[in-house]
Amino acid sequence: MLILTPSAAAGPLTVPGAPVPIATTSTLVNKLSVKPRLGQWSKVLVGGPNLLPDESTALAVLYPVPNGGQADAFVVQDQGGQNTIDLSQIFVYASIPGDTPMVEAFEYKTI
Amino acid sequence: MNRRELFQKVLGTGAAVIAASVLRADAGAFNGPAGGTRGTQLVTILTGPFDTSSQPNGVRALTATPQFATYVRIQANPGQQGKIAIGRSVMATAPGNIADAAFVELWPNWDGTVDNGRSDTWIMSDPQWSNTINLADIYVWPEIAGETPVITAFQLV
Repeated sequence: MLILTPSAAAGPLTVPGAPVPIATTSTLVNKLSVKPRLGQWSKVLVGGPNLLPDESTALAVLYPVPNGGQADAFVVQDQGGQNTIDLSQIFVYASIPGDTPMVEAFEYKTI
Repeated sequence: MNRRELFQKVLGTGAAVIAASVLRADAGAFNGPAGGTRGTQLVTILTGPFDTSSQPNGVRALTATPQFATYVRIQANPGQQGKIAIGRSVMATAPGNIADAAFVELWPNWDGTVDNGRSDTWIMSDPQWSNTINLADIYVWPEIAGETPVITAFQLV
Protein backbone atom coordinates (compact mmCIF):
# COMPACT_ATOMS: atom_id res chain seq x y z
CA MET A 1 0.00 0.00 0.00
CA LEU A 2 1.34 3.38 -1.01
CA ILE A 3 1.36 6.21 1.52
CA LEU A 4 2.62 9.79 1.51
CA THR A 5 4.28 10.32 4.86
CA PRO A 6 6.58 12.82 6.59
CA SER A 7 10.26 12.12 5.87
CA ALA A 8 12.70 11.50 8.70
CA ALA A 9 14.60 14.50 7.34
CA ALA A 10 11.70 16.84 8.15
CA GLY A 11 12.18 19.28 10.99
CA PRO A 12 14.29 22.27 11.98
CA LEU A 13 17.63 22.29 10.13
CA THR A 14 20.53 23.77 12.08
CA VAL A 15 22.69 25.93 9.82
CA PRO A 16 26.08 26.55 11.40
CA GLY A 17 27.25 29.49 9.29
CA ALA A 18 27.76 27.91 5.89
CA PRO A 19 25.34 26.31 3.41
CA VAL A 20 24.40 22.77 4.44
CA PRO A 21 22.55 20.02 2.56
CA ILE A 22 19.18 19.00 3.97
CA ALA A 23 20.37 15.38 3.98
CA THR A 24 23.91 14.06 3.94
CA THR A 25 23.04 11.01 1.89
CA SER A 26 20.77 10.70 -1.13
CA THR A 27 17.17 10.98 0.15
CA LEU A 28 14.38 11.15 -2.41
CA VAL A 29 11.09 12.80 -1.49
CA ASN A 30 7.93 13.92 -3.27
CA LYS A 31 7.48 17.33 -1.61
CA LEU A 32 9.86 19.80 -0.02
CA SER A 33 9.19 23.08 1.73
CA VAL A 34 11.74 25.36 3.41
CA LYS A 35 10.64 28.26 5.60
CA PRO A 36 12.37 30.67 7.98
CA ARG A 37 11.49 29.73 11.53
CA LEU A 38 9.01 32.04 13.20
CA GLY A 39 10.74 34.45 15.58
CA GLN A 40 14.21 34.03 14.08
CA TRP A 41 16.00 36.84 12.30
CA SER A 42 17.91 35.04 9.55
CA LYS A 43 17.37 35.59 5.89
CA VAL A 44 17.26 32.07 4.46
CA LEU A 45 18.76 31.03 1.13
CA VAL A 46 17.90 27.84 -0.73
CA GLY A 47 19.97 26.50 -3.59
CA GLY A 48 21.92 23.64 -5.05
CA PRO A 49 25.38 22.35 -4.13
CA ASN A 50 26.88 25.59 -5.48
CA LEU A 51 24.92 27.78 -3.04
CA LEU A 52 26.92 30.76 -1.79
CA PRO A 53 26.06 32.98 1.19
CA ASP A 54 26.07 36.09 -1.00
CA GLU A 55 22.79 35.18 -2.75
CA SER A 56 24.51 35.06 -6.17
CA THR A 57 23.60 31.42 -6.71
CA ALA A 58 20.43 31.10 -4.62
CA LEU A 59 17.28 29.78 -6.20
CA ALA A 60 15.18 31.24 -3.37
CA VAL A 61 15.81 34.04 -0.87
CA LEU A 62 13.36 33.98 2.04
CA TYR A 63 12.76 36.96 4.28
CA PRO A 64 12.68 36.33 8.06
CA VAL A 65 9.52 36.45 10.16
CA PRO A 66 10.78 38.00 13.40
CA ASN A 67 7.57 39.63 14.58
CA GLY A 68 4.70 37.59 13.29
CA GLY A 69 2.97 36.66 10.10
CA GLN A 70 3.07 33.83 7.65
CA ALA A 71 6.56 32.62 6.85
CA ASP A 72 7.95 33.05 3.37
CA ALA A 73 8.44 29.65 1.79
CA PHE A 74 10.19 27.73 -0.94
CA VAL A 75 7.97 24.83 -1.99
CA VAL A 76 8.46 22.19 -4.66
CA GLN A 77 6.49 19.01 -5.29
CA ASP A 78 6.67 16.37 -7.99
CA GLN A 79 3.21 16.51 -9.58
CA GLY A 80 3.75 13.13 -11.16
CA GLY A 81 3.47 11.41 -7.80
CA GLN A 82 7.05 10.19 -7.56
CA ASN A 83 9.93 10.63 -5.12
CA THR A 84 12.24 12.67 -7.34
CA ILE A 85 13.57 15.48 -5.15
CA ASP A 86 16.96 14.58 -3.68
CA LEU A 87 17.41 16.33 -0.34
CA SER A 88 21.18 15.87 -0.50
CA GLN A 89 21.22 18.18 -3.54
CA ILE A 90 19.27 20.97 -1.84
CA PHE A 91 21.34 23.30 0.32
CA VAL A 92 20.16 25.83 2.88
CA TYR A 93 21.92 28.85 4.33
CA ALA A 94 20.77 31.08 7.20
CA SER A 95 22.43 34.46 7.62
CA ILE A 96 22.66 34.06 11.40
CA PRO A 97 24.71 31.00 12.43
CA GLY A 98 22.73 28.55 14.52
CA ASP A 99 19.32 29.51 13.21
CA THR A 100 17.04 26.66 12.27
CA PRO A 101 14.92 27.03 9.13
CA MET A 102 11.99 24.64 9.04
CA VAL A 103 12.18 21.83 6.51
CA GLU A 104 9.03 19.96 5.57
CA ALA A 105 9.49 16.87 3.43
CA PHE A 106 7.02 14.16 2.46
CA GLU A 107 7.89 10.93 0.71
CA TYR A 108 6.00 8.04 -0.82
CA LYS A 109 6.49 4.76 0.96
CA THR A 110 5.09 1.34 0.40
CA ILE A 111 3.96 -0.34 3.59
CA MET B 1 -43.00 31.14 -2.18
CA ASN B 2 -41.18 34.43 -2.00
CA ARG B 3 -37.44 34.84 -2.04
CA ARG B 4 -37.16 34.97 1.76
CA GLU B 5 -39.12 31.76 2.21
CA LEU B 6 -37.06 30.05 -0.47
CA PHE B 7 -33.86 31.13 1.25
CA GLN B 8 -35.05 29.80 4.61
CA LYS B 9 -36.02 26.51 3.01
CA VAL B 10 -32.60 26.12 1.42
CA LEU B 11 -30.84 26.95 4.66
CA GLY B 12 -33.03 24.50 6.57
CA THR B 13 -32.26 21.71 4.15
CA GLY B 14 -28.53 22.40 4.39
CA ALA B 15 -28.64 22.32 8.18
CA ALA B 16 -30.44 18.98 8.13
CA VAL B 17 -27.81 17.48 5.84
CA ILE B 18 -25.01 18.67 8.13
CA ALA B 19 -26.75 17.30 11.20
CA ALA B 20 -27.34 13.93 9.58
CA SER B 21 -23.79 13.42 8.36
CA VAL B 22 -21.30 11.58 10.52
CA LEU B 23 -17.65 12.41 10.08
CA ARG B 24 -15.89 9.27 9.00
CA ALA B 25 -12.77 9.94 11.05
CA ASP B 26 -14.95 9.87 14.15
CA ALA B 27 -15.90 6.27 13.49
CA GLY B 28 -13.01 4.21 14.77
CA ALA B 29 -13.73 1.20 12.56
CA PHE B 30 -13.59 3.16 9.32
CA ASN B 31 -10.15 3.34 7.79
CA GLY B 32 -11.17 4.45 4.32
CA PRO B 33 -9.91 3.12 1.05
CA ALA B 34 -6.42 1.74 1.22
CA GLY B 35 -3.71 4.22 0.43
CA GLY B 36 -3.14 4.76 -3.24
CA THR B 37 -6.70 4.10 -4.34
CA ARG B 38 -9.19 6.81 -5.09
CA GLY B 39 -12.88 7.11 -5.64
CA THR B 40 -15.08 9.66 -7.33
CA GLN B 41 -16.64 11.54 -4.44
CA LEU B 42 -14.72 13.94 -2.22
CA VAL B 43 -15.92 13.66 1.36
CA THR B 44 -14.82 15.33 4.56
CA ILE B 45 -13.39 12.88 7.06
CA LEU B 46 -12.10 15.36 9.63
CA THR B 47 -13.23 18.88 10.27
CA GLY B 48 -13.55 21.64 12.82
CA PRO B 49 -11.56 22.89 15.81
CA PHE B 50 -9.16 20.16 16.93
CA ASP B 51 -8.74 19.66 20.68
CA THR B 52 -5.46 18.05 21.78
CA SER B 53 -5.81 18.68 25.51
CA SER B 54 -6.60 15.07 26.38
CA GLN B 55 -3.21 13.84 25.15
CA PRO B 56 0.16 13.79 26.98
CA ASN B 57 1.84 17.21 26.59
CA GLY B 58 -1.03 18.23 24.34
CA VAL B 59 0.46 16.44 21.31
CA ARG B 60 -2.13 14.54 19.30
CA ALA B 61 -2.18 12.63 16.03
CA LEU B 62 -4.92 13.76 13.67
CA THR B 63 -6.51 10.33 14.02
CA ALA B 64 -5.87 7.52 16.46
CA THR B 65 -6.20 4.84 13.78
CA PRO B 66 -4.91 5.06 10.20
CA GLN B 67 -7.17 7.15 7.99
CA PHE B 68 -6.07 7.87 4.43
CA ALA B 69 -6.78 11.29 3.01
CA THR B 70 -5.97 13.03 -0.24
CA TYR B 71 -5.97 16.58 1.15
CA VAL B 72 -5.25 17.94 4.61
CA ARG B 73 -5.53 21.54 5.74
CA ILE B 74 -4.54 22.91 9.15
CA GLN B 75 -5.25 26.51 10.01
CA ALA B 76 -4.43 28.69 13.02
CA ASN B 77 -7.78 29.41 14.64
CA PRO B 78 -8.53 33.14 14.36
CA GLY B 79 -8.67 34.79 17.75
CA GLN B 80 -6.35 32.31 19.44
CA GLN B 81 -2.90 33.42 20.52
CA GLY B 82 -0.40 30.56 20.35
CA LYS B 83 1.66 29.09 17.54
CA ILE B 84 0.65 25.71 16.14
CA ALA B 85 3.37 23.10 15.60
CA ILE B 86 2.87 20.30 13.06
CA GLY B 87 5.18 17.31 12.94
CA ARG B 88 5.57 13.58 12.75
CA SER B 89 5.50 10.97 15.47
CA VAL B 90 8.76 12.12 17.10
CA MET B 91 6.87 15.17 18.32
CA ALA B 92 4.86 12.97 20.69
CA THR B 93 7.97 12.09 22.69
CA ALA B 94 10.03 15.22 22.15
CA PRO B 95 11.88 16.53 25.19
CA GLY B 96 12.06 20.26 25.87
CA ASN B 97 10.37 22.57 23.41
CA ILE B 98 8.06 20.33 21.43
CA ALA B 99 8.15 22.73 18.46
CA ASP B 100 11.83 21.86 18.04
CA ALA B 101 10.66 18.49 16.70
CA ALA B 102 8.08 19.96 14.32
CA PHE B 103 8.45 20.54 10.60
CA VAL B 104 6.00 23.43 10.38
CA GLU B 105 4.90 26.19 12.71
CA LEU B 106 1.82 28.32 12.10
CA TRP B 107 1.76 31.88 13.34
CA PRO B 108 -1.32 32.81 15.39
CA ASN B 109 -3.95 35.20 14.11
CA TRP B 110 -5.12 36.73 17.36
CA ASP B 111 -6.66 39.97 16.12
CA GLY B 112 -6.52 39.95 12.35
CA THR B 113 -3.90 42.68 12.12
CA VAL B 114 -1.18 40.52 10.54
CA ASP B 115 -1.16 39.48 6.86
CA ASN B 116 -4.39 41.35 6.14
CA GLY B 117 -6.26 39.10 8.53
CA ARG B 118 -5.38 35.83 6.81
CA SER B 119 -4.71 32.92 9.11
CA ASP B 120 -1.49 30.98 8.65
CA THR B 121 -2.37 27.66 7.03
CA TRP B 122 -0.58 24.41 6.17
CA ILE B 123 -1.85 22.33 3.26
CA MET B 124 -0.72 18.91 2.14
CA SER B 125 -2.24 17.08 -0.80
CA ASP B 126 -1.48 14.09 -2.93
CA PRO B 127 -0.56 15.43 -6.39
CA GLN B 128 -2.57 12.70 -8.08
CA TRP B 129 -5.57 12.87 -5.76
CA SER B 130 -4.96 9.46 -4.30
CA ASN B 131 -5.79 8.65 -0.69
CA THR B 132 -2.20 8.32 0.50
CA ILE B 133 -1.82 10.70 3.43
CA ASN B 134 -2.11 8.79 6.67
CA LEU B 135 -3.66 11.18 9.18
CA ALA B 136 -2.32 9.05 12.03
CA ASP B 137 1.23 10.02 10.95
CA ILE B 138 0.63 13.76 11.39
CA TYR B 139 0.79 15.29 14.86
CA VAL B 140 -0.32 18.68 16.12
CA TRP B 141 0.74 20.67 19.17
CA PRO B 142 -0.77 24.02 20.14
CA GLU B 143 1.75 26.15 22.00
CA ILE B 144 -1.00 27.26 24.36
CA ALA B 145 -2.79 24.35 25.99
CA GLY B 146 -6.42 24.09 25.06
CA GLU B 147 -6.21 26.04 21.83
CA THR B 148 -7.80 24.41 18.84
CA PRO B 149 -6.44 24.69 15.29
CA VAL B 150 -8.98 24.25 12.54
CA ILE B 151 -8.36 21.01 10.66
CA THR B 152 -9.99 19.65 7.54
CA ALA B 153 -9.21 16.43 5.69
CA PHE B 154 -10.78 15.12 2.51
CA GLN B 155 -10.93 11.63 1.12
CA LEU B 156 -12.06 10.34 -2.27
CA VAL B 157 -14.49 7.48 -1.77
